[in-house]
Amino acid sequence: MAEKPKVYALSTCPYCKRTKRFLDDHKIAYDCIEVDLLDDDKQDKVLDELEKLTGRRSFPVVVVGKEIIVGHDEAKLRKVLKL
Amino acid sequence: MSDQKPERIHCPVCQAKFKLVDGWKAGSIVICPVCGQKLSLVKSPEGWIGERPEKGSEKEIRERAEEYARMRGYSFNDMKEDIIEGLIGKNKRFGDFYCPCRMLHVPEYQCPCQPTRAGDVDKNGKCYCGFFWKKT
Repeated sequence: MAEKPKVYALSTCPYCKRTKRFLDDHKIAYDCIEVDLLDDDKQDKVLDELEKLTGRRSFPVVVVGKEIIVGHDEAKLRKVLKL
Repeated sequence: MSDQKPERIHCPVCQAKFKLVDGWKAGSIVICPVCGQKLSLVKSPEGWIGERPEKGSEKEIRERAEEYARMRGYSFNDMKEDIIEGLIGKNKRFGDFYCPCRMLHVPEYQCPCQPTRAGDVDKNGKCYCGFFWKKT
């Protein structure tokens, strides 16, 4: 796989946990940012980044190359990750 | 007919003020009809307030959610326990049972959050988090 997925999550969000569990179960290495645990400056920066990417502040968001998946969506994850 | 306004109780969870019912007194345990929170009544110089007898406990949020669902006729699905876990995480990290699926930790998003209390479940079939569901 060319690019390592990047997961934007909230530490308390059950759907974010399911997305991470799905990637773990499929042995996909990924980077994860738990946005609610960042300090204020970093959080603002990441939230701006997310709004540009998705137009909203909804979690989880998975970025794989140019593909952006908003919400826990196993079908889209399988398609984008070619599982 | 009396012109006296009925006394009201302030709920510290949803901030609603609901009517004091005949027979209720200091120490009575009542349920907030707006959010389902269990409250112990206290008479203060400013009026009646409801205190949260099990504030911050897992028991409190479970009872609140169950009461709210019962009052509104909503149901839960298999996400229930994961969402309860998220609510407990919010309380640990951010001081109260705010919606675990949202970024903000503000009173408006105390579970059940304001949009839910305003009818989101009836409109969309579920709340933002998928905790409360409209029965089909």
